[in-house]
Amino acid sequence: MTCKDFEAQLDAYIDNELPPAVVGEMTEHLDACAACARSHERQLALRRALTQHAPALQAPPGLRASIRQAIRAQIRPAATPRLPEWRWLAAAAVLVGVVAGTWRVATTRARAEALTDALLASHVRSLLGSHLLDVASSDQHTVKPWFNGKLDYSPSVYDLAGRGYPLLGGRLDYVANGAVAALVYGRRQHVISVFLWPAERGPTAGPATVTRQGYHMLHWIAPDYAYWVVSDLGSTELREFTQLLQRADSAAARPDGR
Amino acid sequence: MRERAHSTIAEGTLAPSELARFEALVLPHLDAAYTLARYLMDNDDDAHDVAQEALLRALKYFDGFRGDDARAWVLAIVRNACHTWQRTGRSHPVAVEFNEELHSGAVGDEHPEAALLRAADREAVRGAVAALPLEFREVIILREVQGLSYKEIGEIAEIPVGTVMSRLSRARRRLARALSSVARERS
Repeated sequence: MTCKDFEAQLDAYIDNELPPAVVGEMTEHLDACAACARSHERQLALRRALTQHAPALQAPPGLRASIRQAIRAQIRPAATPRLPEWRWLAAAAVLVGVVAGTWRVATTRARAEALTDALLASHVRSLLGSHLLDVASSDQHTVKPWFNGKLDYSPSVYDLAGRGYPLLGGRLDYVANGAVAALVYGRRQHVISVFLWPAERGPTAGPATVTRQGYHMLHWIAPDYAYWVVSDLGSTELREFTQLLQRADSAAARPDGR
Repeated sequence: MRERAHSTIAEGTLAPSELARFEALVLPHLDAAYTLARYLMDNDDDAHDVAQEALLRALKYFDGFRGDDARAWVLAIVRNACHTWQRTGRSHPVAVEFNEELHSGAVGDEHPEAALLRAADREAVRGAVAALPLEFREVIILREVQGLSYKEIGEIAEIPVGTVMSRLSRARRRLARALSSVARERS
């Protein structure tokens, strides 16, 4: 191999784009020729400089959020008053799973575990299954009435956008003991599912915090509602969010519609 | 399954299964998409806007995506969007056209180029990359930053593999010269 041949193929050699036979010849030449070895060294120095100073970047959270928003917007609220077939199947699967999990005869602890499993499954499924919202809106006066006639209670929906937790919408879900409202809030690229149902419906027993598979779950009982909040958001921010919800709940004189 | 999904979804919307597929196949490459946009555009804002536009276009035309390399597919859309922006002057180009003749002075023997390149700092490297003409810059970013093969780069930039090779080689020569001359000026 001549120096000219070596030089012509040096880029492809370093890029691992040469056939093995040629690689062997290149390596032989590299060992034998000091001038070409210097070229090689210079090329490697350039690669190192690029790797070190021109790194791969992370998409800004705002970009990620706006793409996710666009995906959500693809699901037109008017087009989904009835749940698509696969959602019913998914919901039924959870229901069956929970029932099969000896729901009624289980110990309190196992019952709480089954509940957190079901809630976490619902949250994760909503993320994987295209972030499905049955009603996509940042307007609490659109989201709240959407549940009319679908549930026997009217969930409290708050506008927390000013505090950095914009409302994204809501969906109807099936957890443990029937249809429940899941309200969906955002925090940067994170999604927060808020499940709530009338406290008297039970079950209300459960640990106040659960961390599982990188998701945090917080639970509390407001006077009228049992709340579960699920998100991959950091626990500090998730706590702040739940405090905002609790404060908004106390501020509202009575949950209306009940 | 696709057909059934299509038949039940109103025009202008993607079936939930398609949206799930988009999230699973395309969204993991959002960082790569932004990286390419950021290096091809001149500032953060343009990069953000062009990446967003490209991703929305990808979402819109995702129905037509049948391949198995979603990364190359989405990067090609980002790359084309960047070119369109640059051509239509929607961005504010600040990169100075690199003058090869002006910068091709011989390297002095007393400063081995490898040592000069080793001394290159972040500012110099970013500056030299930004000064590359777009067709050189894109092959460098796709190769050096994103580690794509010549074949993938050729598909994204719509050029033959031989052209990928020659553009990479020329781009690297320009970078090496630019970085050496910056280092020499400073020493």
